Amino acid sequence: MTDLVEPVELVGPDDRGPARYGTLRYALSKAGGAMLSIAMVIVGTFFAFRMLPGDPVRALAQGRNMTPEQLDLERRRLGLDKPVAEQFLQFVQDTLRFDLGISYEYKRPVSDLINERFGATLLLAGTALVMAVSLGIWQGSRAGWKHGSRFDKLSTGASLVLWSVPTFWLGLLLLMVFAAGIGPIPGVFPTRGIESVDAPEGIGYILDVAKHMVLPCLTMVGVIYAQYLLVMRSSLLDEIGQDYVTTARAKGLRDDEVRRKHAVPNAMLPTVTLVFMRIGFVVGGAVTVEAIFSWPGLGQLFYEAIRVPDFTLMQGTFMLIAVSVILMNTLADVVYHVLDPRVRSA
Amino acid sequence: MRRRSIRKGIASLAALAAALLLAAPGQAAAEDAPERKVIRIGATQSMDSMNPFLAVRLVSTAIHRWMYGYLTVTDSKTLQPSPDLAESWTTSPDGLTWTFRIREAKWSDGQPITADDAAWTFNKMMTDDGAKTANGPAVENFASVTASGQDLTIKLKTPQASMLENPVPIMPKHVWEKVTDIGKFEAESYPAVTSGPYIAVEHKKDQYVKLEANPNYWRGGPKIDELQVVFYDNPAAAIVGLKKGDIDLIGRLAPPDFEALKGDDNIVQWDNQGRRSSYLQINHGATTTDNKPVGDGHPALRDPRVRQALHTAIDKQKLVDEVQNGLAKPANGSIVPPMYKDFFWEASGATLVSYDPAKANKILDDAGYKKGPDGVRTMPDGSRKLQLRFSIHTDAPIEDKLAEYLTGWFKEIGITLTTKRLDSSKFTEETGTTGLFDIAISGWSVNPDPEEVMATHLCSRRPTPSGEGGGTESFYCDPTFEQLYKDQQKELDRPKRADILKQMQERLYTDAPVIALYYPNDLEGYRKDRIAKITPIPEDNGILYGGSSYWPFYTIEAVTGDEENADSGSNAGVIAGSVGGVVVIGLAGLLFARRRKGTADDRE
Repeated sequence: MTDLVEPVELVGPDDRGPARYGTLRYALSKAGGAMLSIAMVIVGTFFAFRMLPGDPVRALAQGRNMTPEQLDLERRRLGLDKPVAEQFLQFVQDTLRFDLGISYEYKRPVSDLINERFGATLLLAGTALVMAVSLGIWQGSRAGWKHGSRFDKLSTGASLVLWSVPTFWLGLLLLMVFAAGIGPIPGVFPTRGIESVDAPEGIGYILDVAKHMVLPCLTMVGVIYAQYLLVMRSSLLDEIGQDYVTTARAKGLRDDEVRRKHAVPNAMLPTVTLVFMRIGFVVGGAVTVEAIFSWPGLGQLFYEAIRVPDFTLMQGTFMLIAVSVILMNTLADVVYHVLDPRVRSA
Repeated sequence: MRRRSIRKGIASLAALAAALLLAAPGQAAAEDAPERKVIRIGATQSMDSMNPFLAVRLVSTAIHRWMYGYLTVTDSKTLQPSPDLAESWTTSPDGLTWTFRIREAKWSDGQPITADDAAWTFNKMMTDDGAKTANGPAVENFASVTASGQDLTIKLKTPQASMLENPVPIMPKHVWEKVTDIGKFEAESYPAVTSGPYIAVEHKKDQYVKLEANPNYWRGGPKIDELQVVFYDNPAAAIVGLKKGDIDLIGRLAPPDFEALKGDDNIVQWDNQGRRSSYLQINHGATTTDNKPVGDGHPALRDPRVRQALHTAIDKQKLVDEVQNGLAKPANGSIVPPMYKDFFWEASGATLVSYDPAKANKILDDAGYKKGPDGVRTMPDGSRKLQLRFSIHTDAPIEDKLAEYLTGWFKEIGITLTTKRLDSSKFTEETGTTGLFDIAISGWSVNPDPEEVMATHLCSRRPTPSGEGGGTESFYCDPTFEQLYKDQQKELDRPKRADILKQMQERLYTDAPVIALYYPNDLEGYRKDRIAKITPIPEDNGILYGGSSYWPFYTIEAVTGDEENADSGSNAGVIAGSVGGVVVIGLAGLLFARRRKGTADDRE
């Protein structure tokens, strides 16, 4: 089977060398840009958060009996009595050594706090992303191919409704129906957390965690899959009228095969960019979903940090999110370059 | 062909996983050992630290109360200090030297408890700044602490009547003296060495803490085997958890969550007097510690007559009914709620301010604040209209509702009130440091000894000239109040000291730097099919979770025997699991069949 428009086949054996060199140079320039962005994030993070109103020491003492002397002591301990310039230099030095500092509220290293919660967030947000992307691409390509059909209307409509629903509302609804149980529907799923208090060992533990993941995952997928569906659908619509699709049809290929083997790979490109961009945000977690299901992840930590404001913790979590978004964007650029010859020639 | 078998494999794996998942025996573990009596408490806060020198959150201090002995404990009947690790004590005539006799008991690891443990704890806090984080003020007045056998001697710098309310847990010296940097110590080694009714055996961050009964506790072990504190990020999920039986008790509920428990036969709705007071903070002329004005408070509020008129224009009963759903008591006193019988001051006779808009109008008329043609009053010199701001928090529906009522009532007396919603850190700054407010909502959860809440209205708590907050709740600085505060510190006779503390409340009531609105009830819920008995503090009409002692959770008893096993939840779970599993397998099969048809077509 030969298909001239199949992108991978465009890269013939002859031009593979220069293309690779080009990709490398391209990747390096992108990496340079990313480094610059990260440096700006480091600087920006420090000053942006210090512009937030509120005295963290006073906020932490809220509702407690603290003498002025003790508040002073706390301020000294946190280094807040030093001039901002000195604090900034210290911050840059520490950050370059990958030392994110000590959290004001938890009195523990920020990197430890992030480490403890990173896994839980990655598990939930990662699983939800994979599911949302698969569902979105699958439904989107079908809906786009048969646009105007009942399937198209139904799936586009359903995804848009879920997309518009407030996450909090959807999560609580699922919690009330499937965790508490209503009428004939029994409450099968747990109401909180990543594991039971008396979780079993081994395979039982994995099942226990999986059971805890069902509702938060469903909520997240429900809310985010529409974007993949819509992007996939519209880019497939763009491809439908293309000559190569007509050619493929003329070859006598089955409709399903024309879609799967010819249209979809070309329509995938915008979706790939979107997916990579979202991977960056995955580490930020879904604050709302984590809050509804008491998921012990990063989202909750970030929220707590802003509430105080716990400068070091905010800086740490924010930098983590910003840096992963930048890295993933850069990676998306590079992958795009590899996937799509049109970008390369441009 | 290969593709097909992969697909087949994935489909059957998915179906199997789904079936297993749904049927996973969640409660089976508990049923395997029916002898073990476990009580689960829900908390809408997670632990900030297992190290009592650092922990400040309510959930953490509550858990530490269950784990460690203190010098004294609040008596469950009288709310007075009673012997805990200190079995008796004496005071020198000048009130400066206190000698405590430490009880001959054992730590949970079998080591004897001595006065040396207590001396080490206090000395650590006096000498190590890191150890001051949680309870620094408690040792601020200590000159020296020494131990000899079971005798602990504390010398004070100035007399301090609240000595017996010392909030510091006594730590085992033999375990904790090995810690090099107490300010960074996580205390995450289990089982913990404790002297109280429970021993912490496990802590999963942001998830739960498991405490086992201490069988060698000197009062005798608790009547249950294990106490679990399970964390929820939001109260709505915790309510679902309680209804479902994932937790057995949840405290500190807001009125709407409390009302969501209505109609469940297995749940007891616990509605009793609480330890909190809600009040308005009035910017009566905020100043810094060097007595220089700070902020932009409306000048009219510096006039006590205007503050009195505002107080008179508030219908507190209406607020209780409409804002708190009837689950509070209107405040006919100041910042100490009536739960603390010994210290609560109640206004009566001429001092009692009750809702009377006509009287409020008259006070303002007499004081020369004339109403303009638009119905809004102006300052006697005509310089400014009486247009005030009311600072509340964002996302606080109760405060929004409160603002609506106040706006209406103040309009009747010719004062315009506009609501200003602030996020919590900005709110704290404007109402506690920079003084950029007119009237603000506030509140305080009061301890059995009211000295702490009184201290938040001292001159020294105002912000410093350089703009650092000192923890004031009112920017108050009143010579009478200051003198009374000093007097009560020296007065070791409890009834006499209570009198002084009542005078202080009266001063706050009549001078009105703060206006108490109501005392919210303590709202909790627990499952009576799981908890057979729990004693509140105080015993007649009090709090379960969040009080400052271990009584309720030391005396808690679990429902045992057949009743517990009658819980149909797990059966329903199994049935549902099976049904769910079948459905999923069916769906997966259907999908697989379709795919197979598809691939068959492909091969044509």
